[in-house]
Amino acid sequence: MNLYKYASPINFYPLAGKLIPWFAIPSALLFAVGLFMGFFIAPSDFQQGDAYRIIFIHVPAAWLGMFLYVLMAIYAGVGWAFNARLASMMASSISITGAMFTFLSLVSGAFWGKPTWGTWWVWDARMTSTLILLFLYIGFISLQSSIDDARRADRAGAVLALVGVINVPIIYFSVQWWNTLHQGATIRILQKPTIHGSMLWSMLIMLAACWLYSVAVVLVRLRCTILEREQNAARFAEATV
Amino acid sequence: MNWPDLNMGGYGFYIWGSYIFALLAIVWELVTLSYRKKVAREQEKLAPKVISRKANETTS
Repeated sequence: MNLYKYASPINFYPLAGKLIPWFAIPSALLFAVGLFMGFFIAPSDFQQGDAYRIIFIHVPAAWLGMFLYVLMAIYAGVGWAFNARLASMMASSISITGAMFTFLSLVSGAFWGKPTWGTWWVWDARMTSTLILLFLYIGFISLQSSIDDARRADRAGAVLALVGVINVPIIYFSVQWWNTLHQGATIRILQKPTIHGSMLWSMLIMLAACWLYSVAVVLVRLRCTILEREQNAARFAEATV
Repeated sequence: MNWPDLNMGGYGFYIWGSYIFALLAIVWELVTLSYRKKVAREQEKLAPKVISRKANETTS
């Protein structure tokens, strides 16, 4: 089986169409299970009461905002370095979903901040660096939209995406490097999590649901981008003959 | 199984507010994407058939 053929947008288009339901349907099911567990199984927190239930949307949104940015930068970099059109199209398809999750993490964080900290917003290191991430996404989307030639837009976007990726470790480690109002990490790879098992599982299921949703939506957007760009290329070819 | 009340111990506005906002964001993304897909499909009908042609170009 020659997998390289799927590096061609036209060959990847039908494959993406077949893959979408395999991500969209499990995503919907996991959203239902995660929300059920988060609201009906997980107990109230002894300090924050029910206010902590915002984590089931806030944490997956924040993680995906960061992860999708890194993924977008990798695809943009590959597209730039190897002149691979599909990778560049993938980067631009990821950007809108990444921006949406970053925006969602900021808004849900504000909804959490008001009852727990007494304020909607503070210029805390974690929150400010996440806001910068949103601006980087908006910059990437705006830059690509402002350049008519798709290949030039991809190259310009790749530079911005690769430079901006430095912000992701800053967001992650901000709670350790600076004295912030935002709480530190409760889940670490090498250490036992400090939250109740049912809370942790609800959050992980919601994370999986958001992740599968992102893949499905990005694939749909990628198919639209392939249709739009290949048509433009075909029209350009016709006009120049 | 716990049956949470809508008031959520006094935090209902913040909890439901964040989830309603998340729902709106997801609906907005799906609606705009659906519109873009519809426009791309309509354009495809007008343009030459490019998706079904035999091509293997990975780069421009």
